[in-house]
Amino acid sequence: MSVQTRSPSRAAQWLNFPHRGVGMWAFAMNRLSALGLAVYLFLHLFLLRQLAEGPSAFDRFISLVRSPLFTLSEWVVVVGGLYHGLNGVRVILTSLGVAVPYQRQMFWILFGIAALGSLAFAIRMFTA
Amino acid sequence: MSKPHAILIGAGFTGCATAYDLALRGFDVTVLERGDLAAGTSGRTHGLLHSGARYCVTDQESAVECIDESRILARIAAQCIEFNGGLFIALDDSDLAFVDRFVEGAQTCHIPIEQISPRKALEMEPAINPGVLDAYWVPDGTFDPLRLALAFAASAKASGAVFKLYCQVEAMLADGQGNLNGVRYWDRTTGQHHELRGDIVVSATGAWAGELAELAGAHVPVRPTPGVMVAFASRFVERAINRLNKPGDGDIVLPQRRMVVVGTTSFEAEDVDYIPVSEEQVAEMVKRGADLIPALATAPQRGAYMASRPLVGSGTQARSIARTFKCFDHKESDGIDGFVTITGGKATTCRAMAEATADMVCRKLGVSAACQTRERPLRSYREFYRAGEGARA
Amino acid sequence: MTAEVWTVTFRVFRRKGAEAPHYDFFRLEVSPDEYVLDAIERIWAFHDRSLVYRYACHHATCGACGMRVNSVEKLTCITTIRSVARDGGEVTVEPLRNFPVISDLTVDMGDLYRSMEAVHYPAVSPVAAAPLPTIPAKDGISPGGPLREEPDAHRLNDCIECGLCVSACPIATTTAGYLGPAVLAAIQFQGISGKPALAGLADCEDGVWRCHSAYECTAVCPSLVDPGWRIMDLRKQAIGRRFRRLFGRGETA
Ligand SMILES: Cc1cc2nc3c(=O)[nH]c(=O)nc-3n(C[C@H](O)[C@H](O)[C@H](O)COP(=O)(O)OP(=O)(O)OC[C@H]3O[C@@H](n4cnc5c(N)ncnc54)[C@H](O)[C@@H]3O)c2cc1C
Ligand code: SF4
Repeated sequence: MSVQTRSPSRAAQWLNFPHRGVGMWAFAMNRLSALGLAVYLFLHLFLLRQLAEGPSAFDRFISLVRSPLFTLSEWVVVVGGLYHGLNGVRVILTSLGVAVPYQRQMFWILFGIAALGSLAFAIRMFTA
Repeated sequence: MSKPHAILIGAGFTGCATAYDLALRGFDVTVLERGDLAAGTSGRTHGLLHSGARYCVTDQESAVECIDESRILARIAAQCIEFNGGLFIALDDSDLAFVDRFVEGAQTCHIPIEQISPRKALEMEPAINPGVLDAYWVPDGTFDPLRLALAFAASAKASGAVFKLYCQVEAMLADGQGNLNGVRYWDRTTGQHHELRGDIVVSATGAWAGELAELAGAHVPVRPTPGVMVAFASRFVERAINRLNKPGDGDIVLPQRRMVVVGTTSFEAEDVDYIPVSEEQVAEMVKRGADLIPALATAPQRGAYMASRPLVGSGTQARSIARTFKCFDHKESDGIDGFVTITGGKATTCRAMAEATADMVCRKLGVSAACQTRERPLRSYREFYRAGEGARA
Repeated sequence: MTAEVWTVTFRVFRRKGAEAPHYDFFRLEVSPDEYVLDAIERIWAFHDRSLVYRYACHHATCGACGMRVNSVEKLTCITTIRSVARDGGEVTVEPLRNFPVISDLTVDMGDLYRSMEAVHYPAVSPVAAAPLPTIPAKDGISPGGPLREEPDAHRLNDCIECGLCVSACPIATTTAGYLGPAVLAAIQFQGISGKPALAGLADCEDGVWRCHSAYECTAVCPSLVDPGWRIMDLRKQAIGRRFRRLFGRGETA
């Protein structure tokens, strides 16, 4: 009847949000988008530095940023930025004690706006 | 002479209160409990701090104990008691016929009661049956079961008592003459077995007192009589509502936090380790409870549970067995020295039970120390968990 | 009454002493309307007497039987099997996280109790001083208080010190020093104005500002304490207090 298994590690525990409520998803996505944006910032600075390395580097840079993969990555940055910024509004409002009982509804509204915004950007960026 | 060492078995209300009393009288106390604190009957008790009014006709000895002890507990354990009084309400002719005896009984037992007009009663408690014919106010209260046990245990600990939780007593150890001088227990958190020696073994195991006595080859006439309780998810009343009649099934509704709890029934059981909650009994509680508070018929339930009274005696009708407690010196009853059992009683009378037990233990060991538990308020229940003790509280 | 019978496998976290933890499996016949605690109690009574778990009142007033059921914190005494399992399915029962495990399903709640004591959270208050906040009804618990509030009546306060919120909190998992939802809620319950000691505890790095608004505390709280809302309200109070101090109108106490 008895079976040997390992107990989950601490990191895995932190990621058990699929079982949980909207607030936990909002929190986890907020962390994830924050990490993504931070990585992006470094990437951004790193790429921009190439501009200072002469005309050939500049041309390489321009051809890189015109690639569809790059556009897609840019779009991901926009999505992350939209979500993180809008959810940030929710966090600030609730931190001031505003509309706390409605944090769930507020999440869905802001999430909706972020989704619509992302869609608009997608249309703009991929159909040009 | 070094301090006498008392081994206490069971950390329900009785065990915790006895540990406190003995520790204050200068004993080294070790409490062994097979579960966590209040894991037996105590944790699952209905929670009525009895004014004694319920027993003032049928069992006046209990009633007097209750009014005296409820006053003491309201003073020393105010931290975990809702002391809002209670109402006895008469709903039919048979109830009305009981009123005279009730009033007389309360007087005899010096329980302060006050007649209240049905209109006033409905004003005080709008949720009760609007058909109320007569009502009396009584000094009832509600307690938080776990926290009451914790408060006694925290106070015991503050005076040096040691609690070993999840340690189940498996055997009694005897000296050459067949008298007890220790126990063997199984620490369920580690799986290990240990022996512990002491000057006296006190069993405060409530409904399990018979089983524990058997381990020593002694006998305790305790009859486990379980009852069911049903909690509802709304606080319909601020006071304990009792049916003004002889004690019967489902005739008390208590407020507690945001809930009310209806209880209880009374039947006999053999195996007290697991007693299933029967749907019939729950339905019966809802029906009886709704006689007192009509909204209960449709109110959402919060939980249903069962606990087992340790009734002492061998009468025929469970409800008619006196609810007072009994302290057994097994030297007298079974010729085994070094062993005392305390069982029976009620949560409300746990302090008095402890006092009587500690008196007996002191007598047996020739210790002269007076009981000191009547006046001083108990320590905060949270002090049971003291810093630096590690995981084994 | 025809009783419905389900077969459910309980996957139970076990640990004794210094042994490595593992899970045991127990197949039981249950009624779906029984509570998870009833099943655990039967496992102890009929299958394995070494199972260690904590409980007392069986009706959500004591807070002793908090466990993680399928990774979500529950008071097992009021959690029906129907709400967490299906016939023929499996249910995982584990101890609360963010507390040291004593054995099997029992954790050491000492830290929480000591912190609640340190902030003087009263166990009983006048009904009037413990107003029932207007929050949406959940799990059929009435958000309303008594049908008529009695001015002198007392009641046991909502927080039952069960620790579910602490276990559910993603911040408590990674930051041991965080005061945690229950304790912050206990401070908010009393208010910080004129109470510099409480204010100091709440308005600091390991106080209200550590919270990252996951609201899991509120999602799992079985007693409608709504710690999430209380932490946010405490932030508001803390900001107000800082403003007043900035303009030299801090408390004198
Ligand atoms: C349905 C019901 C409703 C009640 N309502 C009320 C009420 O409203 N008001 C009131 O005042 N009273 C009430 N009572 C009575 C009251 O609850 C009990 O009298 C009281 O709880 C008994 O406490 P105890 O400490 O003697 O026993 P218990 O609480 O049962 O303690 C005995 C302890 O011994 C432990 N134990 C057993 N075997 C061993 C072993 N081998 N080794 C170690 N430990 C062991 C058990 O785990 C248990 O914790 C009610 C009782 C019932 C059944
Ligand atoms: S706030 Fe709620 S979840 Fe947290 S300890 Fe108190 S009752 Fe339990």
